[in-house]
Amino acid sequence: MRRCSRLTDSLLAITLAVAACCCSLLATGTARAADLPLHQRIDTLIEARHQGPASELTTDAEFLRRASLDLLGRIPRADEVREFLADRSAEKRAQAIDRLLASPEHPARMADFLHVMLMERQGDAPEWRKYLADSVAANKPWDKMVRDMIHADPADESVRGAAFFFTKRLENYGQNPVDVPGMVRDVGRLFLGVDVQCAQCHDHLFVKDYTQDYYQGLFAFVGQAQIRRDLKFPALAEAPLKKKVEFTSVFVKEPRAIGPKLPGGKEFDVPEMKPDEQFQVPPDRKTNFPGVPRFSTLKLLAEQLPTAENRAFARNMVNRLWWFAMGRGLVHPLDLHHSENPPSHPELLDLLAAEFTAHHFDVRWLLGELTRTRAYQRSSRIPEGVAADSVPEDSYRTALEKPLSSEQWTASVAEAAGVAARERQSVEAWEKLRERFAKAFANPPKEPETEFAPSVKAALFLMNDPVVLGWFQPANGNLAERLAGIPESERAVDELYLAVLSRTPDADERLEAVQMLAKHADKRSAALGRLAWALLTSTEFSVNH
Amino acid sequence: MTSPHLCRPWEHAWSRRRFLGTAATAAAVVGSGGLGSGGSSLNGNGSAGLGPWLNPAIAGQVEQKRKQVVFIWLDGGMSQLESWDPKPGTLFGGPFRAIPTSVPGVHVSELLPKSARQMHHLAVVRSICTKDNSHSAGVARIQRGDPKNRGVTYPYFGSAVANLLGPGPTNLPPYVWIKPGSGGFIHQDAGFLGPKFGALAFGDGKPPENMLRPEMLSDADDDERNALRAAANRRYANRRRPTVNDASSYVYDTARTLMKRQDLFDTSKFDPKDVERYGTHELGRHMLQARKMLEAGVTFVKVNSYGWDTHGDNFNGHLSLACRFDQPFAALIEDLAAREMLDHTLVIAMSEFGRTPRINGHVGRDHWPEAWSVAMAGCGLKRGAVIGETNDVGTWVKSREFDIGHLFHTWFRCLGIDSKKVEYDNKGQPLPLAHDDCEVIQEVIA
Repeated sequence: MRRCSRLTDSLLAITLAVAACCCSLLATGTARAADLPLHQRIDTLIEARHQGPASELTTDAEFLRRASLDLLGRIPRADEVREFLADRSAEKRAQAIDRLLASPEHPARMADFLHVMLMERQGDAPEWRKYLADSVAANKPWDKMVRDMIHADPADESVRGAAFFFTKRLENYGQNPVDVPGMVRDVGRLFLGVDVQCAQCHDHLFVKDYTQDYYQGLFAFVGQAQIRRDLKFPALAEAPLKKKVEFTSVFVKEPRAIGPKLPGGKEFDVPEMKPDEQFQVPPDRKTNFPGVPRFSTLKLLAEQLPTAENRAFARNMVNRLWWFAMGRGLVHPLDLHHSENPPSHPELLDLLAAEFTAHHFDVRWLLGELTRTRAYQRSSRIPEGVAADSVPEDSYRTALEKPLSSEQWTASVAEAAGVAARERQSVEAWEKLRERFAKAFANPPKEPETEFAPSVKAALFLMNDPVVLGWFQPANGNLAERLAGIPESERAVDELYLAVLSRTPDADERLEAVQMLAKHADKRSAALGRLAWALLTSTEFSVNH
Repeated sequence: MTSPHLCRPWEHAWSRRRFLGTAATAAAVVGSGGLGSGGSSLNGNGSAGLGPWLNPAIAGQVEQKRKQVVFIWLDGGMSQLESWDPKPGTLFGGPFRAIPTSVPGVHVSELLPKSARQMHHLAVVRSICTKDNSHSAGVARIQRGDPKNRGVTYPYFGSAVANLLGPGPTNLPPYVWIKPGSGGFIHQDAGFLGPKFGALAFGDGKPPENMLRPEMLSDADDDERNALRAAANRRYANRRRPTVNDASSYVYDTARTLMKRQDLFDTSKFDPKDVERYGTHELGRHMLQARKMLEAGVTFVKVNSYGWDTHGDNFNGHLSLACRFDQPFAALIEDLAAREMLDHTLVIAMSEFGRTPRINGHVGRDHWPEAWSVAMAGCGLKRGAVIGETNDVGTWVKSREFDIGHLFHTWFRCLGIDSKKVEYDNKGQPLPLAHDDCEVIQEVIA
């Protein structure tokens, strides 16, 4: 194991050296590669591996839709599209990215994204939502956020909601008991990109790197965590770890023991203490106060995991943010970083991790760089004359279509129908609406939402849900009413396409729609509603393409 | 430490090495270039007949009559000794007797009196020997056919059949799962075939939500709006990878078909005589609904029964469980035979493993994959046949052992698919349908 990782390290060093060589050659006469902005260096590395033609860049309308969905969590409004199309500035895409990242809607979108990624629909709490919203709004570095989630001070109101990451996982799940192995697994998966589940009872059968100490060492860190019962908000208590965690493999019946140890990292000693020394602050039965152990493994984990020295930490997050922007991880699946599942672009993953670390784990900065790349801005249409299956997904020659989250669906359908402003007036009503959509669009709890998985349930919802269908009846200045007020069918159709698909129709589309409206001249409003519905349920609307 | 059964091998199965630089989750395109067909269209849209679905490589092999499957999953592990392979009066035989069946010389446990009367339709294999003795591993391994690890997640049998045979002319979802508890679209079953081949699960046999179209929308209006959607999707598909648009279009087609078949879920309209014959209990209702689904043309129907993991009090457990299986199973076999559906419908009743002959300290039986039984019927299988045998005390297989791979090859043969010749095409990576080292159990084929 250890030998193996040294080998990988030296290989990576060679790769890096070679990559650095190539870059400096390419950049001869101009700036050194390291001085170029990250997005240019990303494109150099991606395009160096292209084996065949790449797709053209998206149209402006497609770009704005893609970036708005990614960074604001909704499609752009018709007037936003119009404005962007009319903008003659050569820098307008970069300017739009800055604008979107600075928008007050961006933190809300990222809070949704992080919530779904970290909690996987297991539950929600107002303190947790507040923590996420505040942290993202302040662009709190990712290492600090993870430190909060692992070891939040309950006395500090600004961070204590972060404890929900663990406290929710320490609750019974339905009628099932607390899933401690699942919690250990989630720490590995979500913060380090390693799924240690299958290494609980034995070394992983197929992933050579994942030895049983990957699981057991993490378990030693988090196995003492408990819910604090004496407080009204989510907070963690911790029992003292008195000795190493003992385990045996189901295959090799040989007792072993391990102290806290990060996957692939060094093992920490468990200090021996007399019972009366184990607590820094002793428990108090009267108040239910659980005490504070002198040797806190959670504190240790908070110090050791989210660091520059722990390479897996930055690599996991940049891989997840790459997936967020590009629709696929450089290491894919996202939870399986190991030597036999190498990244598609090893030198790029190294670069991203190094730069993310150097920029103090600044998520917003990295998203700005990723969205500025040509790789991000390519069309999802296969290059002319090229077979679709000859363009590998991980070549990034053609953009991948990304699924929409339930939250993106809610906001985008409401935006398309022209009811968003009205529906958002009441926070409670908007939350209810999001729950209504989540029933149709969200995965069941504990199922990561990383794949495109359209469902019959969601189709039935969009076909028959009275609330959604009601939005397409003319009322209160919504899209249907606006369209009813445009007597010229061509103009109405253009407006409809802008509102729903965030682009203008081509000549065929316009003609077909106008003819359809002419056929229903006596019931034009209902016909417009059906047309809007057809665009809303089309694949083009259903994905971030 | 809690939960010793955490390990789920289908999660193990993620790419050990990556094939052709593509995701393991990538959907196979039925009948794409790898099979020499030149790529048939898969827009799943109003497929008239089998054409757009059927894998062209097997089109010639599938006979005129549409093949269907009903797969009854007895989750937790039915005891072979209390069902198809009784050993009364032996060391581990337990308290129950064996009774004669409609096939002279063949005996089954007295817990299956009604099924015993249908034995002349059944083919029972008593020499199953599989590898996995934990539920978490076994369920997936058995239902995926335990192919060699090829760095991809194999589909469950239902997804495999959905992919290979398609939904048929009715365009109902090809893989339907009637189960206790909640429903939904279980795309994970599909493995590398891609999400559209997952199971549509009807929780407690109930239809999904939002099945009723608002009254303000007429049939004609509904057709029109969907035709417009289809036209938009055709434009979108131009020069795009087909997977996403296919899957996205497909769920609407399925949803529309389901909406037209509300009758499949309206248990109040089921014939009371049927209800009585199948039983008013959960499994009885679900098995009757399974028959309705088969009659409606669904290609693959899975029915789940839970609670067979009788580590404690095995005998009382089976006493109460077996009759709830026996009644609807016998009724289903009888009905399929009477409707001449058994000729083209493959019936399989099985678990992830059998149970230990040794009776443990809690009067229970534990997990025993080494020697157990599977009951099947129809679709080219022998009728009234028992294949293979275990030793006198039921601990080991005495005749030739059959693994799950043998069963998969056998089932594919029944469905008219030569699993030694036809391959999946996972984006250019050819993959066998079933375990290379196994083959058809010839003894059970008529």
